[in-house]
Formats: sequence, C-alpha cells, structure tokens
Amino acid sequence: MQDISLHLLDIIENSVRAKARCVKVRVINNVIKNRLRIIVEDDGSGMDAHTLQQAQDPFYTSKAERVKKVGLGIPLFRQNAELVGGTFKMASEPGFGTVLTVDFPLDHIDRMPLGNLKDTLLGAIIGHADVDFFIHLLYRDKSQELGFHFDTKAIREELGDIPLTYPDVIEYIDQSLFEGIQNTNMEDV
Amino acid sequence: MKTLADLKKIREKAQEDMKLRGGNVRIKIVVGMGTSGIAMGAREVMKTFLEEIAARNLTDVLVTQTGEKGLSSMEPVVDLIEEDKPKVTYGNMNPDKVKKVVVEHIVNGRVVSDYVVATGN
Repeated sequence: MQDISLHLLDIIENSVRAKARCVKVRVINNVIKNRLRIIVEDDGSGMDAHTLQQAQDPFYTSKAERVKKVGLGIPLFRQNAELVGGTFKMASEPGFGTVLTVDFPLDHIDRMPLGNLKDTLLGAIIGHADVDFFIHLLYRDKSQELGFHFDTKAIREELGDIPLTYPDVIEYIDQSLFEGIQNTNMEDV
Repeated sequence: MKTLADLKKIREKAQEDMKLRGGNVRIKIVVGMGTSGIAMGAREVMKTFLEEIAARNLTDVLVTQTGEKGLSSMEPVVDLIEEDKPKVTYGNMNPDKVKKVVVEHIVNGRVVSDYVVATGN
C-alpha cells in the first residue's frame, strides 16, 4: 500500500464484508496536536476478543477455514502506523460492529501520505450503493477549524429510484467530495 | 458548492431518461477490491470506470465492488456480467485497459480477448 487512503479503502471493504449497513469515516487533520487521525466505524457483524486479536496478527490467515474474513490488510495498516510512532486501535463487539482508530504523527518524515482520498471515497460509495456512508473531514490549526460532512443516505433519499451510478450522480458525488477535500486542506497531507 | 437542489435537477433529468429507455441495467461491472487488488491499483481501475461512465453518459451500466476471488496474481480483476451471456473476467487491469474495455466491450459489444483471464461462471 502506498498511501493511507488505500488502507482506508481496504478497511471499508472489511466493513462491507462484515455486512455493515452504515460506515462512518472520519479523517481529522489536527495541526495543533500534530496528529492525523483516521476513524472507521461500522455496524457490521463485529468480532469477539479472540478474532479481534487474530485479525491483527500478520501470521494469522484464515485459509484453513476456507472462508477468508481477514488477511494482511489490518497488520499492514498497523505496521505502517507504528513504524512512524503512530498508534492503531481496534475495538469490536459481536453483533454491533467495529471501530478502528489509527493515528499518524503529522510531521514525521516517513509517514505515508494521505493519498487520493477523493477517488477512494468515490469508489467505495458508488461501489457499495446499498451501504450508507457518513464522511466527516476535519482540519484544525491555531487559527481555524474547517469541517466537511457528506451523507449518502440524504443523497439516496433525494434521488429515489435513480441509482448512484447514474452519470450525473457520479459527477455530483465526485465534485462534492472534491470541494469538501479542498475546503478542509486534505489534498496534500 | 453542490447542494441537494442540484440533486433534484439530476433526479428529474434521470426520470425522463428512464421513461425513454426503461431503466434496466444492461451490463454489471464488478471490480475486485480485496487487499491485493487495492495494492495492485484497483482504486484507479474503479475510478476510470466511473470517469468513463460519466463522460460517455452510460446510463444502463452498474458498477460494484467485491472482495478477493482467488485470482491474486492477476489483480486488478474485473467481471463484466451481461444478461444471457457468459461472465467475462478481465485481469491485470489498468486505466488504459479499462478505457479500451469500455469502448470495445461495453459500447460496441466486442469482448477484448487479449485481457480476458476467465469466462463463464
């Protein structure tokens, strides 16, 4: 993985495979605390303490079980955060969902770039048209706080039976995300 | 700034459009978005499909994402599913190949056999 957004995409796919109906993504660029925080919260099937532990182990593969629930995605994300002094936390409750919080030190020279957040979110939203996405971007420094909210449930209610893959809708979502990312200084993080 | 009022306009236009052509999905595109697919460029593949659909105004195409399917060495992998036709799986995809598949397969109905890694179910 070359950037944090690709990890984010991978994590979102985990949520969808865990049958999440709603995925909340928060990206918080906090200059004051020198912290780039990614939070992904889903209402999927969740994991018990044992599975949660295994999911973070790079030598755990579920091949023996034939059904692949988790792979290298989580350990790689964790490694990329911890290598630069960041933290990786995952909490889960069977039947309720999973929350993942990953912190990167903003100014670390070896920190992965945030990458193309727009294409990541656009693909995830349109590729999973039956999942509700709540996107929240926040930028904070000494002089200002900038926020962006994006809620696909509101969009779908407005669209009725028009699919998210309708060409004008793709452009609408693309443009909305572009503006939101620009307005919260998330382009070249 | 984009607002929900813009969506209302899109909805009206799309409803007119669907009245004219019936609103059914002709081709379903499934992009493999497992860990290895993502690492090999599936995000750019997905993005290129969406760009082409918007640019060519393809209103009878559906794009979705799925997890790994055991073709890791050929990622990114894309399935094209049409009614009454065998499923076509394209492998080792990149944005240029996506553009060709859109023109040849989706618009003109000719399978791009050079990129095919599997057919049928």
